[in-house]
Amino acid sequence: MTGENVFQGSNLLVPKDSFFTFIDSLRSQYRVLGPVKERNHAVFREITSSVDLFMDYRTTMLSPGKMFIYRPREDILKFRMELPISIEEVEPVSEKQVIVGIHPCDINAIRYLDRTFLGSYVDTFYKTRRENTILIGLNCTQVSGNCFCSSVGSGPFLKAQSGYDMLLTDFGENYLVELKSKEAHELFLVGGKEAGPDEWSLKSEKEESLLKSFKKTICVDGLDNLFMKNLDHPVWATTANERCLSCSNCVMVCPTCFCYDLKDEVSMDLKEIKRIRQLDACQDFRFSEVHGGNFRVRRASRLRQWVIHNLNYTGQYDTIKTVGCGRCITWCPTNIDLTEMAKEIQRSTIR
Amino acid sequence: MKNPLLPIKAVITGIKRETEDTKTYSLSIEDSLYTARPGQFNMVGYPGVGEAPVSLSSTVSEGNFQHTIRSVGRVTEFIDRFNKGDVMYVRGPYGSCWPLNSAVGNDILLVAGGVGLAPLRPVIQEILRRRDSFGMVTLICGSRSPDNILFTSEIDGWRKDIAVFLTVDEVPDGMNWQYDVGLVTQLLNKTTFKPEETFSFICGPEIMMLFVARGLFIREFLPSRVYLSLERRMECGIAQCGHCQHGSKFVCRDGPVFLYKDVSRLPDGLL
Repeated sequence: MTGENVFQGSNLLVPKDSFFTFIDSLRSQYRVLGPVKERNHAVFREITSSVDLFMDYRTTMLSPGKMFIYRPREDILKFRMELPISIEEVEPVSEKQVIVGIHPCDINAIRYLDRTFLGSYVDTFYKTRRENTILIGLNCTQVSGNCFCSSVGSGPFLKAQSGYDMLLTDFGENYLVELKSKEAHELFLVGGKEAGPDEWSLKSEKEESLLKSFKKTICVDGLDNLFMKNLDHPVWATTANERCLSCSNCVMVCPTCFCYDLKDEVSMDLKEIKRIRQLDACQDFRFSEVHGGNFRVRRASRLRQWVIHNLNYTGQYDTIKTVGCGRCITWCPTNIDLTEMAKEIQRSTIR
Repeated sequence: MKNPLLPIKAVITGIKRETEDTKTYSLSIEDSLYTARPGQFNMVGYPGVGEAPVSLSSTVSEGNFQHTIRSVGRVTEFIDRFNKGDVMYVRGPYGSCWPLNSAVGNDILLVAGGVGLAPLRPVIQEILRRRDSFGMVTLICGSRSPDNILFTSEIDGWRKDIAVFLTVDEVPDGMNWQYDVGLVTQLLNKTTFKPEETFSFICGPEIMMLFVARGLFIREFLPSRVYLSLERRMECGIAQCGHCQHGSKFVCRDGPVFLYKDVSRLPDGLL
């Protein structure tokens, strides 16, 4: 489900067995995707049975939104080069899919990507996939060392009331299932106990106790102005010159980084040209290159662009970009931590 | 649902060489409903080569308009080889426009540097079309050398209705030149303005726009009336690919025409 309409649905306490039977029943109509354990990591991929699901995962390297809704690579259109040249539109694929077990940060990341691809211009590929995808969120039961979602309001429990279909909270033997869309209501025909005051207070308790286990926090109040006053702060150059490799890992694993590169690919017989788009990264040298110059020649300015875009620039979509998933910190080969950079600026300003 | 990245054919109905590396292409598209406001741009390209953002250098009339393109990159060098009758692929128009309607009844100062005159030409055409709607109109135009000035065959015609001041960085030996030599900012002294009644539209290299804007503010021009057109890398034109992000703005959608004060002091810019 997309959009801002809040759906007043029912909320049920459902035995996990019943829930997983429901998931298995979906496979006749939908491609079902979810977290699966592969070696020591969890990854989102298609499942053949709910037995595959690894619902207690901590985090994944890639977010489901940037794998299955906003694709890392997409054919945009084709040119047939026999004269006269004709343009062939690529029809958006609309396979119906269900993604189960998405953590609050990643649900919020998808809601953020909506602002880019369903905003002033609508991307047909994104829209088609978004409308054909059922999103089932899962409130977190544990906090990883790099998680800071609690500082930016995107987790560990999902507060957003729209833009997804169902929300699960782990109640031991049961899931508290909150239905958040009409589609979910029509689809979820599983019996369960209607959630009452006991369930809501238990849910709050679980959230409260989880909030205490965050090791990483950041105060984002006032960061907008603070960054603008500290564009020449030494933290940018020092971190960039001594540690940043411009490898773009941070951008690739970021669930809200939306930038793409448009490229033309010519077939071997020169008869067909595909215009494709694929993920691009502001850490790449030529990202801001124009004729006669480059607006971000220095690595420091590229790193600064990325950090400020994530923690500031709330003017872009009236919301902070980061969802606090911490993936950029986890996958940075030199352990650059955007929250630490921000804190260094905050500390030096207080002094 | 229409794919916003889908280009349409634009047939070249005429090519006029402006300078050694710049030509004006007259284009015709089948979409007679196509309109664009002065200052807006199209993504212009060719299959297999790619696309580049180019401002319209004319107003639009029944699917006919012009692009003035300097041959400096992969796409523009490819287009440079085109002849009359060839086809390029365009989509647009994108972005913001020069606020001509707000300027009605006021004076207008246009400052152009090099190929920056191209996005201002539709403004001039529009002013000439309804000259009585505006007060004093002045164009200050700087170029590298006399043979780098665009639209030379039209400038004398413009002089009938608006004041035109030309300057060049240098005049090669033996070349005839009757106008100024030096920076465009020096020409600000050559004419008198009513700063509080003047809208300024600046287009050129960012460093030039910086100093022109400073020159205007020193002369007490109002920050709410000084506009410029920014250049950034653009690939999509529709605020998605992210390359043109400048501060929290997408230059392709929120610009390219901005109030100077809205884009000054941002990271990775000169303004």
